[in-house]
Amino acid sequence: MGRNRRPSKQMLLLLEALSAHTQQWRHGYDLMKETGLLSGTLYPLLIRMTDQGLVEAEWREPEHPGRPARHAYRLTNAGVAFARAAIPAGPITFAKASFA
Amino acid sequence: MTQAVSRALLSLASRSLGSDRRTWAMAMEAEFEEAVEDGKPMMFAIGCLFAAWREIGKHNEGRLILANYALALGLLIPMAALQFQQAVGFLSSAESPFGMQGAGAGPNLYVIWSQNSAIPILLITWLLLGMAHLCLAWMLVEGDWPRIVKCGTLIGAAMITLSLFMSVLMLDLSPLRAQVAELAIELAAVVSISRWHMRVFADASREMLAR
Repeated sequence: MGRNRRPSKQMLLLLEALSAHTQQWRHGYDLMKETGLLSGTLYPLLIRMTDQGLVEAEWREPEHPGRPARHAYRLTNAGVAFARAAIPAGPITFAKASFA
Repeated sequence: MTQAVSRALLSLASRSLGSDRRTWAMAMEAEFEEAVEDGKPMMFAIGCLFAAWREIGKHNEGRLILANYALALGLLIPMAALQFQQAVGFLSSAESPFGMQGAGAGPNLYVIWSQNSAIPILLITWLLLGMAHLCLAWMLVEGDWPRIVKCGTLIGAAMITLSLFMSVLMLDLSPLRAQVAELAIELAAVVSISRWHMRVFADASREMLAR
């Protein structure tokens, strides 16, 4: 199973971003901007992590009227525990925006 | 222009994700407005398409989409090309002053006249077969099953017309033998895909009802 494998650098970046405020719901585009991941990397990761029960997703009302509802994400309890075990003590210093 | 192309790419990504991942397709579409505001709609849409294609082989509907493309590109479009080639070949053989080949022992004015009169309709039928195959390929990729049935019926009718005309005028159906065999393979492939399609969507409906 993917969950037993070592998380990729991209996954670590995402885990770090999501674990900064575990109770806060985060939108996909904001996560892209914060982590430097492109949508082609971020969405497969989010899909996989949701399937594995590490991330939960829900539809949130739009901030601007007339816009569609947005999908928001946060770590589950299992995701928080996984992030604590996976993220190294120091900040992750990968070259952001280099992941396609 | 960039925004329109990006929207088209995103729409393609959504379709590629299939009903299993419908929520994710909607999530990407909802974020698209943010990408537009940020001035990067194209990059976002290409990424979503890339993500959708990475997911495509992982679910039943995705595999069905791939099979549809394989059938369209690997069988139906070559079949259409074959029909056009047959039409061109038929036209060049029909230009002979002695009528079409295989028409009998010697040149017979009545037979030649009948054959020459039938050339336009045979040519139109062959071209129609070619066009119908192109349409069938397109509809298969679109998953438009009512039109696929109509197109299949048209191909069947055109093939019967062609066989009747060829047997009456040329008294020789050998040029059509290979084509009939290829059409049978094509029909079997389309029927298999339709059964697969029904199975996948029945499963998807059951899952949706269970939710």
